[in-house]
Amino acid sequence: MESALRIGHLYPGQMNLYGDRGNVLTLLRRLKWRGLDVEVVPIEVGAEVDWDRISLVFMGGGEDSHQVLIADDFRARADQLLKRFENGLPMLAICGAYQLLGKEYVTTNQTILPGVGYFDVRTEPGAERKIGDVVCQVEGLDLSLATLVGFENHGGVTYLGPDATPLARVSTGSGNNGVDGSEGVVRNHVVGTYLHGSLLPKNPHLADRLISWALRYAEIQDAFMADLNDEWEYRAHQAMLSRQSERHR
Amino acid sequence: MHSTENEEGEPAIRYLRLTIAILFGRFVGWLSRLGGHGGSSLPGKLALRWHPHLLQELRQRAVHGTVLVTGTNGKTTTTAMARSILTRHAWSVINNHNGANLIAGLATAFMGQGRILGRADLALLEVDEATMPRASAELKPRMIVVTNVFRDQLDRYGELSTTLRFIQRAVEDMAEDGQLVLNADDPQVAYLGRDRPHVVYFGMEVDGNVGSDPGRTAYDASDSTRCPRCGHPLEYFTRFYAHLGHYRCGACGHERPQPTIRVAQDKAGTITLMGDFGWVPIDMPIPGLYNLYNLAAAAALTLTLGVHVDLVPAAIVSMVPAFGRMESIVAENGTVLRLALVKNPVGFNQVLDTMVQSPEGNHALVVINDRYADGRDVSWLWDVNFESELLQQKIGRWWVSGIRAWDMAVRLKYAGIEPSKIVVLASAKAALDAALAESRDCTLYVMPTYTALLEVRDLLTRRGLVKHFREG
Ligand SMILES: [Zn+2]
Repeated sequence: MESALRIGHLYPGQMNLYGDRGNVLTLLRRLKWRGLDVEVVPIEVGAEVDWDRISLVFMGGGEDSHQVLIADDFRARADQLLKRFENGLPMLAICGAYQLLGKEYVTTNQTILPGVGYFDVRTEPGAERKIGDVVCQVEGLDLSLATLVGFENHGGVTYLGPDATPLARVSTGSGNNGVDGSEGVVRNHVVGTYLHGSLLPKNPHLADRLISWALRYAEIQDAFMADLNDEWEYRAHQAMLSRQSERHR
Repeated sequence: MHSTENEEGEPAIRYLRLTIAILFGRFVGWLSRLGGHGGSSLPGKLALRWHPHLLQELRQRAVHGTVLVTGTNGKTTTTAMARSILTRHAWSVINNHNGANLIAGLATAFMGQGRILGRADLALLEVDEATMPRASAELKPRMIVVTNVFRDQLDRYGELSTTLRFIQRAVEDMAEDGQLVLNADDPQVAYLGRDRPHVVYFGMEVDGNVGSDPGRTAYDASDSTRCPRCGHPLEYFTRFYAHLGHYRCGACGHERPQPTIRVAQDKAGTITLMGDFGWVPIDMPIPGLYNLYNLAAAAALTLTLGVHVDLVPAAIVSMVPAFGRMESIVAENGTVLRLALVKNPVGFNQVLDTMVQSPEGNHALVVINDRYADGRDVSWLWDVNFESELLQQKIGRWWVSGIRAWDMAVRLKYAGIEPSKIVVLASAKAALDAALAESRDCTLYVMPTYTALLEVRDLLTRRGLVKHFREG
């Protein structure tokens, strides 16, 4: 029997830095706890995918050498993905995945790698690697809690074009580029961000937003959006916020 | 490069400068210990400020030269085992057995004991991967031993390939006739030996259950399973854990080099060290499959230096586990503690695998900090295989503590472990007290990150359970 909801995990072998799989584990558990039959479909380079049976997509970051290995395959899938994005297919794209969804990506040796151009953003090599805790205020979405916490670790800096809506504004950390205070991008139900950490376990409100989008896209009733006990998750979230206020004191 | 010969001044003045640097460093180290602070890197740090190329001068102290041991996991235990073997070989060894493995720690080891500028037979040093280029350039080691390369504290080094580049540079900088001792089962590490004249490979052969969870496939913590020569995915005939095993590349034919020193474990768990000398049985004082690699590395290191293999078994059985590396401690109430440092997914998985191997149920205490020495990023916890079925069956209770206790608790919850089995206590002392009190009939595995290990060690010391130990 096929599962009611299938999560496509792009390149788990190549694009899984800094605990990105934690995001998939979180989506999986939160759906199972709500009694939904769910399954993760790992998608590696060259794999055949029936995108009509995928209701949520995740892709993480990878080392530069790994990113090069998957870039062509990802571009080849772009048509299939982009038209579904317009129909509300949700995707969470972290770090390298976020960069590839942009217009172009300039590597440290000035090679220009084209992205798939879904986000109006452009990534170039930064002066120094941006590493550390991030706390940001969500702007591009209306969530039940307005903060996101995570850990960033990226060499590239991403600049937003006029058509890009930032996901959030950083109060700790660098975010997209360390200059304009923006972090991530959101367009329709596609979220691109630099936040590892893992991101979703400590931000269940964002996890649930992705899940409710996926349920709607898969035409599954909202009854499955029952509240869960998120005390521990928000304790972990809160721990990062209080650390920020200590730092600013 | 700054060299001894170009150093300004007359030999007598240089000697004086060196002596003052060492005396000064030692004195401040002594003051610091007197004041109750750790002192294992401080003397070296201060002496280096006075004399930046101290190591180039001090390396002469080791009559038979310097051996550097590096790699992500197993440096400390490999070094402790090799030291135990060399002691039976009647060699005096300069050693950073406190685990201070950055430049200042290495300098401190050389300055540390005995007469100022007195001699020892060998300098045997574990070295942090990022410190390898400088350590190699200044110490001109006769031998470099590489245990394995996994993802570790990526926020410090960036990426896996960066770590390999550090070691590669160190290899290029060692003496022409330098000896390499490499893990044949780690594809990237073994590949460091290409085109080198003097390489000894070590490896493992295991029969039967190696403890790895069969469910760990797509989400394995492994990350370098591509052929180091052509980039094609490697085929594994046997895979012990992560990317360690017996492999071959289907595209270019590159394969695991045949190791000359091998550690084998049969179905009954009997451990044998094998080589061109034949074989000797080994009684291991510490559990864990990963410790068999450490044994193989230590044996390869010492046998290549000319030690007789007959010295190895007794030296291993009597070795004292290194600081927080599966140390066994008995508490007042009879509870047995196993203290095992955790710092990356592969190492943590190995401790978990070891924990579920014992027939009786166990308890677990995990203490996660995120200070600099721990790695500021705790996201690697999501790459640890807490989903293992055995873990769910065998671990009756979890205590969770440390600066990032809630991150850890959430991790366990999402692994499907019943929240009622998990107790979160912010204070490490409270967590240790509670865990000890409730673990009378089983073994308590204590799994802290680096700075948490120091805290736990300190708490155990105050209870009078472990000898006083200071760490910088
Ligand atoms: Zn190959």
